[in-house]
Amino acid sequence: MKKSYILGFVLMVAATLSLGSYSAALGNSELLHFWIAVPAGNITSPIVVRGAGPPISMSPIVVDLQSRGVLKNLLQPQLEGLSTHWIYNIGKKPVKIRLSLTNLPPDITVDWDVNSGFGYDEATHTFTSMLNPGSSIPNLGIDWIFHIPAYYLDEPVIYRGGLEVIDADTNTVLTFIPIEFVNGAVSNDTSGGGSCH
Amino acid sequence: MSLRAKETLVKNRWRYIAFVAGFFLFVAPFALLTRAVYFLVGNTAEPTLHSVCFRMPIDWIFGGRFYSIFGSSWFMAAFVFTVIISSIFFGAVFCGWLCPVGAVSEALSRAVPIPKRFRIRIRDTTLTVSMRYGFLVGFIIIAFLVGYKLASDQFGSICCRYCSSSVLQNFASALFEDPSAVGYWHSGSIITLLFWLLIGGLMFSGGRGWCLFFCPLGALSGLAHKIGGRLGFYRVEHNKGICTGCNRCQSLCPMWAIKNDHTVERTLCVNCKECIHACDAYKLVRGKSIEDN
Repeated sequence: MKKSYILGFVLMVAATLSLGSYSAALGNSELLHFWIAVPAGNITSPIVVRGAGPPISMSPIVVDLQSRGVLKNLLQPQLEGLSTHWIYNIGKKPVKIRLSLTNLPPDITVDWDVNSGFGYDEATHTFTSMLNPGSSIPNLGIDWIFHIPAYYLDEPVIYRGGLEVIDADTNTVLTFIPIEFVNGAVSNDTSGGGSCH
Repeated sequence: MSLRAKETLVKNRWRYIAFVAGFFLFVAPFALLTRAVYFLVGNTAEPTLHSVCFRMPIDWIFGGRFYSIFGSSWFMAAFVFTVIISSIFFGAVFCGWLCPVGAVSEALSRAVPIPKRFRIRIRDTTLTVSMRYGFLVGFIIIAFLVGYKLASDQFGSICCRYCSSSVLQNFASALFEDPSAVGYWHSGSIITLLFWLLIGGLMFSGGRGWCLFFCPLGALSGLAHKIGGRLGFYRVEHNKGICTGCNRCQSLCPMWAIKNDHTVERTLCVNCKECIHACDAYKLVRGKSIEDN
């Protein structure tokens, strides 16, 4: 077999592995994907929550904008995203899920891009169907796109708040995931995911 | 438009119509096929091109996540298996006729008149095959390492991070629904855009760079077609007896599947029939080969 064929093969394997490695590096800083379980309380450290359904890894989210890719920092530094495809009910009773981002500065706006197998009220960020124990919201995709004004980009802490997952019937906070956007801080292991599945 | 381009357009009109049909079948806000399936099974989610992801079911299998195949994403898995199995019998016709990702990059390549000398093409089909399956092996290694958590800190899945379907869907959503759909870009999607449309689409002859080197479904469909061809199912064959050696077939084939001796490399061929419509030496056959007849 010609050397060029082996070389072509090996080069493509290496290129693909490099892309995979780069993907891992970007996974914690660009469009970070995370899992949500309810009820899980206040997530103050990395934890695996167990209950009805599969065990779910969760942790506080810290996005270090300095860790983003060159292309992102060069072309679109003022937009950052978070995403989830998984909201599981690990509790014992059905709940109606409402979501809320807390402590947002007025000049950081967030676009909510939500698609799901449940009905969804855009105004209140509430899913209209009950989520049964052991189940997840089917075909879920939520992207939160944060528009960060340029003057925030040099701040050590750009956003410190979190995502509240609320029982819409009782207004009880079932799960709170702290979210921080920082600049150059040492990131914790934040994602528990990093890819779409 | 040159006379030859017009002739190509007319002779291959059904494939180009199929490109448009593929767009309407899979890409939101239309996604007619997915919408019909969702309607039948009572799924109220709004279907998009992601609903039939061409990569994730392959990632699940090699990553040991068989449960995902039978979960709420069963339609994705059923779709991918259908594409691969049908390739045994009919060739990789989904790739050649319906896939909106490949269709858009090929259409762009045809529409933008860049001189041939500026376009990249590997003439050695074996090298192209080596590179194509090098990617597939890399893809499988990552799926395995991440899926079985052997190196999940070192590697991230490349399925979603470099997703041409996502980029295409965002463009379509921006065009037909909400312009802000193309508002957010991450490094992976920028790299994907560059390679899928700019390099693989515009700069690669035929516009199928992404299909050739970065699509696991295409690579597996090519293998299925190779097996199917050996078993006598539908395939394109070359008749040496009437070949004039003009090489037009090589320059027309979007998948670089015509070898230097003008036979067809089936792991690359998508049964698009461009060569058949350009030259009488090529025929779509089933059963016995042209030489046997």
